[in-house]
Amino acid sequence: MTMWAVRLEDVTKRYRMGGVQVDSLGRVLSGTPRRVLDRVRGHRQPGRREGRGKLALEHIDLEIEEGASYALIGSNGAGKSTALRLISRISPPSSGRVRVRGRVGALMEVSSGVHFELTGRENIWLYGSILGISRAEIRRRFDEIVEFAGLSESLETQVKYYSSGMQLRLGFSIASHLEPDVFVVDEALAVGDTAFQAKCVERMTRLSRQGTTLLFVSHQLPTVEALCTHGALLSGGRLVEQGEVRPVLAHYLRMLEVEQERGFQAVETDDPVRIVGVSCHAASGEERQQFGTNESIEIRFRLEGEAPMDRPHVTVGISDGRPGMLVQCSMLDDGDAPARVNEHWECRLTIPHLPLRPRLYWIWAGVYGADAVGMVADWAQVGHFRVVGDVGSGPRGLVSGAYAGALALPYEWDVRT
Amino acid sequence: MVADGSRSSSLLASIRLLIAHREVVTSFARRSLQVRYKQSALGVLWAVIQPLATLVLFVIFFGRVAKISGGGAPYAAFALSALAPWQFINSAVSFAGISVINEGALLRKVYFPREAPVVGAIGSNLVDLAIMIALVTVAEPFLGGRLGLNLFWVPLLAIALIVPALAVSLPIAGLGVFYRDVKYVLPFLLQFWMFASPIAYPLSRVPAGWRPVYALLNPAVGPIDGFRHVFALGTSPDWGLLAISLASGTLLLLLGYTLFNKLAPEMADVV
Repeated sequence: MTMWAVRLEDVTKRYRMGGVQVDSLGRVLSGTPRRVLDRVRGHRQPGRREGRGKLALEHIDLEIEEGASYALIGSNGAGKSTALRLISRISPPSSGRVRVRGRVGALMEVSSGVHFELTGRENIWLYGSILGISRAEIRRRFDEIVEFAGLSESLETQVKYYSSGMQLRLGFSIASHLEPDVFVVDEALAVGDTAFQAKCVERMTRLSRQGTTLLFVSHQLPTVEALCTHGALLSGGRLVEQGEVRPVLAHYLRMLEVEQERGFQAVETDDPVRIVGVSCHAASGEERQQFGTNESIEIRFRLEGEAPMDRPHVTVGISDGRPGMLVQCSMLDDGDAPARVNEHWECRLTIPHLPLRPRLYWIWAGVYGADAVGMVADWAQVGHFRVVGDVGSGPRGLVSGAYAGALALPYEWDVRT
Repeated sequence: MVADGSRSSSLLASIRLLIAHREVVTSFARRSLQVRYKQSALGVLWAVIQPLATLVLFVIFFGRVAKISGGGAPYAAFALSALAPWQFINSAVSFAGISVINEGALLRKVYFPREAPVVGAIGSNLVDLAIMIALVTVAEPFLGGRLGLNLFWVPLLAIALIVPALAVSLPIAGLGVFYRDVKYVLPFLLQFWMFASPIAYPLSRVPAGWRPVYALLNPAVGPIDGFRHVFALGTSPDWGLLAISLASGTLLLLLGYTLFNKLAPEMADVV
């Protein structure tokens, strides 16, 4: 049986709203002694404080195995970041117990552990010491940290003059090189450029292979899928599901679909044409969310206009979450715009072979008018589908599956010596 | 590591944790020094200028105008010997009292013992204290103070001085995170504390029977009076008073640390 590295036992976290600083002077003066006493007595009177403040986590029981790559999955406000704050000891649970074995290296938001008044060099020393690392070890790792962050020229500059990307690079580099037992990364990677993101993922994979427990929060699901073996799904502060990452992700995707469908009805655009429904279908016509590489996919768009219109030019793009489209199919290019459509119409796009590697893909769509200049339905993300299949078994198969090129092409090696 | 929602950690556990994180304390101390003197033109000279300027004021107003006696030494020698330790308490408490708020950005994002910046700020002021002691040692003979072998007691006196400084800084730094009012109260508190200590006037102004009570209520009395004995009068400290102050200072430190400890877990949520 493996040991746990992180354990949450019936953990509840309630944030107090506002706080005393915003109280009026009179209330402060009249109520201060009692409130100071309350505060000093701390959590011993939970009853008195029940109902106040925002509930961020509710009765969470969670166990993360040593050496696992664990993802916390959920929408904004689900409580993921709060859970990470508790695990990295920044903030205490309101009730329940949080237990962690070993040293936690945390990268919360962009620049955690980075102090703005200090130079890059001083920050490495400060954060190292905060993590409880000896000066000798920091000295040993110093050059490696600087090199990974690519900041050798800005080392003597105060961090407040750094760009946010540089701060991220510094923060990540420090936190990941000082060999934490539990490495916590929250959203931070979104700020970095693609090259650095890939570098970070690679670094995390390596840490993970060396036995570091990885705790990861990101809305980039492909990264989560590639990086994490296990995960937990949070929603509104409650634990919905935990276990191996794929079923948990699948659960989350179903949740997202429901939310997204709701979103379609809720969003009332002023556009003359609205995309009211998107679905993906296999060659048999069966509606599906998952497709195999090189399978046929048919994307059906249901559209609604204020009136019948002439020559709408539909444009569809497929992206893997990164900027830019991997694929664009546009009537602007091929000239296949229909002569005329009614108020309610459907547009089907068939791609007979989908040469994409396994991950999650987003469908974007927009409609141009007859003149091919003005948009009648704004370019927007309208749906998603997933390509499933085996991830390569090579040493980097995991990371490449999520970050390297999205196109799946048949290829062969021929090595001669 | 265990974070338990239902109770805060014991004092002993906190001390152990702080010792494990001693590198952080040193980092904060080093930072505090850097921040204080990096961007000022005169740098560390301020550690000397401040007590000397105060000394001039004291000599003029308390020595000449109010004609307070130096209790056996010239007033300038008398005042300087107590201003040096007071300057330490004043500056240590002013910096340590706001040190946790000042680390707010860091507090919100990483864990470290919350008292580390407080202890670090006090530690960095020890550098100033050392400079001042050097200054006083050089200046006292010129002002008419008597120095002798009793200088050996200075390290002990310095420790007795750290105790009340830390004891007062911890609750102030802790409460300051939750109540910004503390920041405005702090200067008054320090001014009040200064006049409540035997700095401008000799301890002999306090009736002999009340002196132990005085040293008990104000744990800075023992060490400050000790400095005066060593640097101005050339005698050994009043051990009785020093012991009383040290005892009450230690008690205050335990109380202050306990209070800080209770406040510590939630600091990151409100700072």
